Amino acid sequence: MSAEIFNPNPTIFATTKSKTTYAKPSSLWLDESDESDEDELDGNNEREEIDQDEIFELIRSISDPEHRSMTLEQLAVVSAPQISFDSPSSSSRRNVTVEFTPTVPHCGMSTFIGLSIRVRLLRSLPNRFKVEIRVKPGSHQSENALNKQLNDKERVAAALENPALVEVLEQCLAGATA
Amino acid sequence: MTASQLPATINPVADLAGHDDRAWYVAWNPTKPILASCSADKSVRLYSYREVSSESEPSTPATSLKFSHNTTIPTGHTKTVRAIAWSPSGKTLATASFDSNIGIWEQEEGGEDEGTTGEWECMSLLEGHETECKSVAYSSTGTLLASCSRDKTVWIWEVHPDADFECMGVLMEHTQDVKCVAWHPTQEILASASYDDTIKLYLDDPSDDWYCAETLKGHDSTVWSLAWEPSEGRYLASGSDDSTIRIWRVTPQGMSDIEAECAIILEGHGKRPVQSLSWSKGIKTEDGSLGWLASAGSDGCVIVWEIKEHRSENADIKPSLSYRILAKLEGAHDVFDVNCVSWCPRRGFEDVLATAGDDGHVKVWRIAFNA
Repeated sequence: MSAEIFNPNPTIFATTKSKTTYAKPSSLWLDESDESDEDELDGNNEREEIDQDEIFELIRSISDPEHRSMTLEQLAVVSAPQISFDSPSSSSRRNVTVEFTPTVPHCGMSTFIGLSIRVRLLRSLPNRFKVEIRVKPGSHQSENALNKQLNDKERVAAALENPALVEVLEQCLAGATA
Repeated sequence: MTASQLPATINPVADLAGHDDRAWYVAWNPTKPILASCSADKSVRLYSYREVSSESEPSTPATSLKFSHNTTIPTGHTKTVRAIAWSPSGKTLATASFDSNIGIWEQEEGGEDEGTTGEWECMSLLEGHETECKSVAYSSTGTLLASCSRDKTVWIWEVHPDADFECMGVLMEHTQDVKCVAWHPTQEILASASYDDTIKLYLDDPSDDWYCAETLKGHDSTVWSLAWEPSEGRYLASGSDDSTIRIWRVTPQGMSDIEAECAIILEGHGKRPVQSLSWSKGIKTEDGSLGWLASAGSDGCVIVWEIKEHRSENADIKPSLSYRILAKLEGAHDVFDVNCVSWCPRRGFEDVLATAGDDGHVKVWRIAFNA
């Protein structure tokens, strides 16, 4: 990794306890499933859908590449309200958008953070989930370039064939180490 | 409009599993009944196909296509094989890999006989690109090969006998990753598409080097794929991450310049990227038809568009284009994305197309007009 420190002294936020049960009734997309009651009757949609909190559970413990002892949640890089869904009509596909907030607008690690979120979700979610990763609007000086890079499937695929990068990625995905 | 109201349907012919990872690309051999596919598993798989009569079911067409796995080329590329291209003779296969090399493959002598298959050998490895190669293409005569890479360059190679290649030019016109290269169907005009949202057209200056003659701007994001109108190459289609397809009228001005303008914009893949295009002559149904454009999107859909040109009696007024969707297939590879769509170029198979998906499968489809 680069020796340059982008944010030497990040603010650390309190975290919530890992949830063992998920607050389904209060999930924000429940309204949407009410609208499509008829669709719910057939097959796939009958089962309980993965919600915001479950996606958040998957990514909260990823460690920050610059401050390995801290998680993305502790640095408020990721949060449950920054996860949203939309389901195209007449399709079993489900689009998930995960927004994250770099700790500083010049954070050179943002591409890496986005990639680690994408890889965690690629490995954990069923194939019908299509993940879009974006930085929070206004939170990074190269916002458009970052968003473009993080959602270019060819570049993501190529990055994941880079052994040096994958090694660091695996360390971050293994979780924060004190 | 639902799929059932469209004039045609896209019917499954074959589902070819075999790759251990995402299938990126499919390419039909232009002269022999062979279909090739490549994958993140670093291999190329070759399938042969033949027509078989299905007399037992008189309601179906008299013949159907039967595919069988012919051979697998391990390639030796150390990373994903992203794209492949057959030479016009059908004898040579080029592979573009994320390991930054282009491989040139030919079958050993003796493999021509029916029933025997010679080994596919790497005849040449074209080194030069600094990072991942994304696309490779032979010119219509097979005398030139183009390749492109994330290193922002497009290379043009001259093809000599005995798999010898000479670099004729390194074009550094794009400011970003170059995603696709495509040669004009009859002339030595090369098009390239890039992450910088533009398309560039190149010409050969006989007394100097290859140069960029025109830049096509209009897409709002990465241009993933290019397809020339196959008969005369008067139009070029481009598919973009901005979810649209643009068709550009390309008019050479003498020998040294090209004029190009956007003639029509097609939208049909929702808000998802258009990953791949293929344009065939189709089976012409009406005058003015420019054939069938197939598009594959990250929405999992394959759409077949019939493109028509309307010429004015007044020669000063440029012709206009119109389209109709002939057929639409949703979930071509179930919930997986479709990375490539390709029409079979061989006579008698103009209504056959193949797709490659993130599920590692290659699928073959045939267009059938609804009664």
